Amino acid sequence: MSEYILPIIFIFLFIYCLFKRINTYDYFVKGAKGAIKLVVEIFPFIASILIAVALLRVSGITDFLASLLSPIFNALGIPTELVELVLLRPFTGSGSYGILEGIFSTYGADSYISRCACVIMGCSETIFYVATIYISQTKVKKLLYAIPVALVCSLIGTILACLFCKIM
Amino acid sequence: MMLSSILVLLITNPGAVLSEMVSASTSALSLCIELCAVYAVWLGIIELVDASGLGQKLAKLLRPLIKKIFRVENPETQRLIALNISANMLGLGNAATPMGIKSMQALDDGSGKANFAMIMLIVINATSIQLLPTTVIGLRTSAGSNNPADIILPTLIVTFCTTILGITLVCLVDKIIKIIKKRQKSRKI
Repeated sequence: MSEYILPIIFIFLFIYCLFKRINTYDYFVKGAKGAIKLVVEIFPFIASILIAVALLRVSGITDFLASLLSPIFNALGIPTELVELVLLRPFTGSGSYGILEGIFSTYGADSYISRCACVIMGCSETIFYVATIYISQTKVKKLLYAIPVALVCSLIGTILACLFCKIM
Repeated sequence: MMLSSILVLLITNPGAVLSEMVSASTSALSLCIELCAVYAVWLGIIELVDASGLGQKLAKLLRPLIKKIFRVENPETQRLIALNISANMLGLGNAATPMGIKSMQALDDGSGKANFAMIMLIVINATSIQLLPTTVIGLRTSAGSNNPADIILPTLIVTFCTTILGITLVCLVDKIIKIIKKRQKSRKI
């Protein structure tokens, strides 16, 4: 069902533009032009974050943290199988989609672990990546309490996700 | 973060440091190329939404809510935030990013510190209500799930809770900081 939603929205949009007598092609090109400039500007930030994450993974610090933190996570109702996803999710979007696919193939797409993982993906965000990119074009150097608050919300969302998937 | 990782690697595997850094940078480049393609599609679509006047309509719909939550008066900024939030609700984080960057630029006051609305935008992006987690459902379908859409309801409930929580927390911390600052000022006097 869900695969129909985007095409339908697009068709609606194009018909609406036709109705409003807007030159669709010109505006689309104008918008798409912005993509290259944007990507050139954000590349240095993405590269720095990915390098830091790669070093963390190779050095084994992530594994160490996962084994260290799993008792705490278990006490909060988060299964050990999901610790790596929860830990890496704030840093890397593509990396966490990789982990998600790994969870699907290991535990099966309909298992409790997989469903939890899906909901966790929904209620959390690659916070460090988003924060870095969003402020990259401003003069802001200090984010104050934005990241801690976002992390607390994600953690509570994760706990809720594990709880709700058990009931529903 | 980088320093501690390199220190550990110095003992365990010093040869891997540079090669890992370069390969991460390479994957950053390929990610950027992918992103460029995705942005080209979505920025094109969003330009159409904007030019056709749908953007303004959407913003008008969300405006009272945005005005209350973000405490922003400028209609142009309100429109950008509305577009960012609605893309996030459809699970299209990549489409939301360009709008998020533009909103941040519009909100920037040049003080070097994030203001209330900027912090709120980051937190709401992080917790964002998901009406339709498109990417996750897609991945689950290809993994052979019998009912890939059965995560929509729990996702909706959980993200609704976390979004409310996020807004409350930001307002609370903002109030506490203001009270502390007031006390410091009155002490100085």
